[in-house]
Amino acid sequence: MAQLELIHISKSFSGTTAVQDFNLSVDTGEFISFLGPSGCGKTTTLRMVAGFEIPTSGIVKLDNQDLTQLPANKRNMGMVFQSYALFPNMTAAQNVGYGLKVAGKPKTEIEGRVNEMLDLIQMRDFAKRYPNQLSGGQQQRLALARALAIHPRVLLLDEPLSALDAKIRLELRQEIRRIQQHLGITTIYVTHDQEEALSLSDRIVVMRRGVIQQVGTPQQIYNNPSGDFVAEFVGHINLLPVEVDQPQQGIVRLGRQLIRAGQFEHLNGRPVRLAVRPEELKSGFVEGANNLTGKIESVTYLGAIVRIRVDVDGYLVSLDMFNERALNIPAVGQPYAIHFPVGACWLTNGEKE
Amino acid sequence: MTRQKKNSWAIFWAVLAMLYFFVPMLGTFIFSLRMKRGVLSLMAYQSVLADRHFLESFRYSATMGIITVTISVLLLLPTVYWIYIKAPWMRAAMDIITILPFVVPVIVLVFGLIRTFGRPPFQLTLTTFGTDILMTAGYVIITMPYMYRAIDVGMRSVDVRTLTEAAQSLGSNWLQVLTQVILPNLRIAVLSGALICFATVMGELILGDFLVRPALGSYMAGVGRSKAYEPAALAIISYGLTWLCLGLIQYFSRGRESGQLTGR
Repeated sequence: MAQLELIHISKSFSGTTAVQDFNLSVDTGEFISFLGPSGCGKTTTLRMVAGFEIPTSGIVKLDNQDLTQLPANKRNMGMVFQSYALFPNMTAAQNVGYGLKVAGKPKTEIEGRVNEMLDLIQMRDFAKRYPNQLSGGQQQRLALARALAIHPRVLLLDEPLSALDAKIRLELRQEIRRIQQHLGITTIYVTHDQEEALSLSDRIVVMRRGVIQQVGTPQQIYNNPSGDFVAEFVGHINLLPVEVDQPQQGIVRLGRQLIRAGQFEHLNGRPVRLAVRPEELKSGFVEGANNLTGKIESVTYLGAIVRIRVDVDGYLVSLDMFNERALNIPAVGQPYAIHFPVGACWLTNGEKE
Repeated sequence: MTRQKKNSWAIFWAVLAMLYFFVPMLGTFIFSLRMKRGVLSLMAYQSVLADRHFLESFRYSATMGIITVTISVLLLLPTVYWIYIKAPWMRAAMDIITILPFVVPVIVLVFGLIRTFGRPPFQLTLTTFGTDILMTAGYVIITMPYMYRAIDVGMRSVDVRTLTEAAQSLGSNWLQVLTQVILPNLRIAVLSGALICFATVMGELILGDFLVRPALGSYMAGVGRSKAYEPAALAIISYGLTWLCLGLIQYFSRGRESGQLTGR
């Protein structure tokens, strides 16, 4: 059942539209990510849920109660900020207990809850430390505990991992998911990092210029992007300008080489691009697949994978290979054959933006 | 070679500046000890401290200083906070407004106060209490640049907006945010502003003179006109007071580093 509903939400700042006709309903216990580049309106939308911004139009509903005009301090939503926003004058324990103190809870109850929360983030030993005596990762865990201590109805996280280094980010990402699932709390997570959104979320809302581009599970977003923007923003993709060769057979041409495109719709002579993820491409020739030949343009190590770019009749095609010991890495300039399944590619309309 | 040359010039100018500052002070100090012919004594200090008028005016100015500081903090802290949160575009205007007391001479301010509030319907100068209200108002205006700047710098050093939002999301109302989150984190800034304000009030001359109230500044000026050694002793005492204030600011600012800073 929908716990949080955003109905036709729009927000303008002195004439500039930040969010436009945003509609979303979030189920109880669901983990939703707002994903998009800077300025896409994801943080503004989150701030409208939190009560820090009032929508220009539209309704915010929580458990069927209209919250649109309700001040932030009456919404009971836990918020975690990119800059941690811990109170520098309070110890870790005081920070966690602050919300309960404001609510006028008895001292023993506050103490119990603070200890419970510090245990949850495994920071009981740091209770008496001040924020400036903690590392960035510890500070953000503390901020999470503080937000959860008040038993919020919804947990809101505004790019909580952006200020941390890569290793801590990965650890904390897993911890956030663990805690969220443990508590079963409805969560909205704002990020511009597609990997974070894909790994954490039950559903992702991809936004661009204040407008929702697609809402779906990570698999739907990655495997069936609604358009070129989503396809390019989430993960890597080859978007190759191709010409329609035999529409009836679903065949297009890249340079002088023919490709069978799986989903062939409404082309009508418009410019067409062929989309295929780099991990779908393999080296060598396989009967029945789409086969292309070209020359190695570059080889890039990315740790677990090696990205190879092949020049196919003047068009660069990327393929990703696992960096296995047995991997025979081709040399730059060497002729190279690649293939991919017919069902792994699709055609999109429109020019590259 | 060039660097060494530069360094020696820097030292030369620094020493020159210090001599310019300290030699007259040393002269004043030695002069203040010469009240008794032929020997160095603290007689001038004893004479000053024994003077009933000195103690009265000291007490009066100190009380005024405390009231001024309290009113300034109550007035400026919420105002500056509100500007940071709700009207950041007003900061440029505030910067100019708060410099006005430096631009408008105090004497103009005093005449303005007397002419406006000494007449009906206010007639505040008719009673000592009314006059003290005018004095306090004048002091608050004169010290505003110091207090405003101190609070402004403090607010700039902590992320006031995010801290406010964090506290609000945890259920705090505006008053709780201000008193439990913002003020404790601005303690040093407010304290610095308060001490500077206090020192300014203690040394202020014109308001007390024209409103005929027993302020320390007026007393010192009066003594300076009629006596020889006591004014020198008073000058040293007032230096000492100012330096004590500066020392306290330094002391509290240093204490801050170990305990708490921003959470960022």
